[in-house]
This record gives sequence, structure tokens and C-alpha cells, in this order.
Amino acid sequence: MNHFNLPLRFYVGAMVFFMLAPILVIVAVAFTPSEFASFPPRGVSLRWFEKVLNDPTFVGALWNSLRLGLVSTLLASVITVPATVFLVRHKPPGARALQTFMLSPLSLPTIILAVGLLFLNAKMGLGSSFWSLVAGHTVIVVPYIMRTVFAVYSSANAEIEHAAAVHGASPFAVFRHVTLPLLKPGLLAGAIFGFLMSFDEVSVALLLSDPKTVTLPVSILSYLVHNSDPAVAAVSTIQIAIAVGTLLILERLFGVRNLMFSSR
Amino acid sequence: MRQGDIVEAVQNPAMDSPGPTIHAPSWRGAVRWLLLLPVVLVLVVFFIGPVVFNLVESLRLPNGGFGFDAYRRILTDAYFFEVGLQTLTLAAVVTVVCLVLGYPFAYAVARSSGTIKALLIFVLVAPLLVNVVVRSYGWMIVMGGGGLLDTASRALGLPAVNLMYSWLGIVIALVHVLLPFMVLSIASTLEAVDLNIEDAASVMGATPLQALWHVTIPMSIEGVVTGCIITFTLTVGSFVTVMLLGDNSTMVLPLLIYQRLTTVGDWGAAAALGIVLLVVVMSLLGLQAAFRRRKAGTA
Repeated sequence: MNHFNLPLRFYVGAMVFFMLAPILVIVAVAFTPSEFASFPPRGVSLRWFEKVLNDPTFVGALWNSLRLGLVSTLLASVITVPATVFLVRHKPPGARALQTFMLSPLSLPTIILAVGLLFLNAKMGLGSSFWSLVAGHTVIVVPYIMRTVFAVYSSANAEIEHAAAVHGASPFAVFRHVTLPLLKPGLLAGAIFGFLMSFDEVSVALLLSDPKTVTLPVSILSYLVHNSDPAVAAVSTIQIAIAVGTLLILERLFGVRNLMFSSR
Repeated sequence: MRQGDIVEAVQNPAMDSPGPTIHAPSWRGAVRWLLLLPVVLVLVVFFIGPVVFNLVESLRLPNGGFGFDAYRRILTDAYFFEVGLQTLTLAAVVTVVCLVLGYPFAYAVARSSGTIKALLIFVLVAPLLVNVVVRSYGWMIVMGGGGLLDTASRALGLPAVNLMYSWLGIVIALVHVLLPFMVLSIASTLEAVDLNIEDAASVMGATPLQALWHVTIPMSIEGVVTGCIITFTLTVGSFVTVMLLGDNSTMVLPLLIYQRLTTVGDWGAAAALGIVLLVVVMSLLGLQAAFRRRKAGTA
């Protein structure tokens, strides 16, 4: 970049501005003291944050989103890790096909998953709204965990596990004390990324949530349909802070580039 | 469980250690397959299941039998056809804009290093984690009547600007959503292109534009194709942005599915439209797979 010519530098600057503009605008509006969203804001105030944090609708939705993300990510990790370990270490026949199968939820438009789950729910009944949301989000999170665990575990040295087994460790002890620590960075990165995907998901949440399980994005969406006061900007700023904070943690742990470049 | 492998590895040093073949007792081999069971079960029930239910619902007739009525209905209805066409056109426009805007950006990402590179990638990835609903709201403030652009334009004595409920506004917001996917997939192949080849081209007398057109772009074609297909499939499936920034005149397939389902309760049409969308996405992915195979075949 340092040796780029002036037009390219100018262009990149403009693109950076384009990428950041809507986000910066929201953050600026969140601090506005006036009754409606105006830009540039006249003065600085925390009144909209105060309103939002005292509004049970938004606080409840934030709580629902966190709970849904955590449960789905945990569930997806528990089912994905053993399968991925098996695929990497034992290379069973059809391993590639199985891997593709586990990654394929990435390619399905979530609206189809959402509508299908709705039909499934109507015909068979998945119980509560919360558990049907968990079902949908677990499917969405599985590929993210599979991908990073697969990458990290493939490059780990199998000899260490062999050594533990030779010295008499039971299969479970090998898994608990050797395999799990080996794949931990991949699991952590995949779980954080998967959690963010669940936290961000709209289609499934929109179609399957009820007033008690409504998630943060859906509550912002339905609020936006009727209002556009700066309260939305304040909630959005909280959402942005959570997302960017998590991204920074992820970068520390794993390097975001590695996640994105292998994406889809 | 690994002892058998080790013994064999010691006896047979030629054996490749990272991927040992398993000669454990056969019941153990069978038991290992159980490790796959939970994830496969969950995906079959909650991923394949919904698609199958979608298909069944699209074929169900009001009288309880099965047939292609819903498909006949959506394929002969002028409105549904128009929405389908609009969806594909929108996706094509967004893809082309992302490619044209994204290629130079990807070049800059691939050819920069250190802090600047990290910053450029952060700028691309950070918006991905900001919810689409939130980003659409940001664009409403920027592009709507009384918004940022409008105020600026009026202050300069120019006509009022309101891009809400227009295709232009939707394209801008969607490009913002999808540009990172395009840039990152092009940048990943550009990084693998040897800079020396570009230099060689210019040493041999190629102008920068010639070097770009004949050397750099052909060598990054795989990233371009992947980026285009990802962008196109994601645009075809996205509906929140269109829902918030558009109105009934800017209808797209996923939004129509949602509407059929929630406001009209027309399950048959919603399901059939879902299957049409699925077929579009799957054929694009098939195209990409075919391209990859051809690429691998010629390499």
C-alpha cells in the first residue's frame, strides 16, 4: 500500500469511508439529544441509551439473543467436535463428502431453512419456540465450528495422541487431555464466530420467535417498521460494540484473515 | 485404541504417520462411526428435514393429494415471474458493481502489508459483524428524506435526495453488505500471484493496464469467479435490506416468500417459491464446482 500510486490510495480511502459510513452515522445518532434522528447531531447525550437500557423489550431481546447464541453454539460444538476428530484422524471412506455435507448449511439461503422449519414445526411440533430456534441456529453454527476445528486439528501432530495411548491412556483420557487441548484454538475461534452468526441471524429468528423469545435483531427490525427515533441507534450501537469487541478477541486468538479466507 | 497402530507403525516404518490406517478390532472401528451420529442426525432432521418439508408442502394440493399446482400457479403468474426476474437482475447488478469496485480494493489488500493490511481487513470484516438490520438503518439515515445526503444536497442548493424505496438505494446498501465477500475472495487468489510475473510483464514493455488485463486478472480468475458466485447467491437469498429500504414495487423472491407465508398464509406458493430459489442457488454452486474441476483438470 505504501508504494501505491495516488489514485489507488485515494480510491482505497474512499472505499474505507464507504464501508464505515453507515456504522459511524448510527453511533453518532445514538448520542443525539434530540427527539428524532438527525445528522450531524446537536450536542451529546446519553438519554437514548438510558431509554433503551430501561426498556424491557430491548433488554429482554438482548438476553434472548445471548441465551440462544450460547445454547446453539454449545450444542453445535458438542455434536461437531467428535465427528470432525473422527474425519481428520481416521479418514473414513466418504470423508470428503461428509465434510461437504457438514459445511453445506452455509450455502442454503436462511429463508428456506426458516420456512422449512416452520412447516416442520407445524406438522411435527418441535415443542417451544426457543427450542425450534435452537434447532435452526445449531444447523447454522455447525459449519463454522467444523471448519476451524478441521483446519487446526489437521495440522496438529497425531504422534502426541499416539504417545499418550502407548503410555496407557484410555481413549477418553487421550481425548480429554491431548486431543481437546490440541484443537482448542480452532474450537474457540469457530465457537466465537458461530456465536456471532447466531447473534446476527434474522430469517429463522423472524419466522420462529414468539413475543417471549424474540431476538435483538428481530426486535430492532420490528421497532424500525413503526418508529425511527434514536433509540434504534442506541440499541444498534450496543450491538456494534458487542460485535466489534468479539471481533477483536477473535483477532487476538486466531487471526480473522484465516477465518474469512476459507469462508464459503 | 491407538496401540495397534503404533505397533504396526514400528514394524512398518514406511507407514505414513499422520494418517494411520486403522487395524483395531472391527467392533471398535464400527463404534468410531458413532462419533458422526449426533451431527449427522441433527443435520438430517433440522437441515435436510426442512428442505424436504418445503418440497412436500410445495406439492400438496388443497384437497389433500399431491401435484404441481403451486408451481403452475407461480410460473404462469405474471407478478411472480416479474419478481423472479427482478431478483436475478438485482443480483446481477450487485455482483457486477461489487466486482468493479472490489477488484482494485482487493489488489490493495493483497499488495499491502503490516498495519495497513490489518486495518484494511478490519474495515472489511467489522461491518460483516454488524447486523444487516442495523446497517440498513444506517443507510436509512444516510439516504432517506431529511437524511445526510438530503441535507447536504439542499445546503448546496441541489435538488432533494431520497433513495428510500428505490432500487438505487437497495443496490448501494447491498453492495455494502456483499463487497467484503467479493474483496476477500479475490484478495486470497491475488496474494498467491507472484509479483515478479507482473514486473516481468512491465519489463517486457507492457503498460500497467496491459499487465493488469493480460497477467494479473487472468491469474486471479478463480477468486473472481468464486467471489461473483458467492455475491450472487447471497444477494438472491437476502431480504432484510430489501424489506427495510424498499416497498412493494421493489419486491424480491425471499421477501415474497416471507410475505406469502405471513400475510396471505399461502403455504403452497411460499414453498414452491422456496424450491425455485433453492434450484437457482444450487445450480450456481454446481457451476462453481464445475469451474473448480475444470481448473483443477487444466492445472
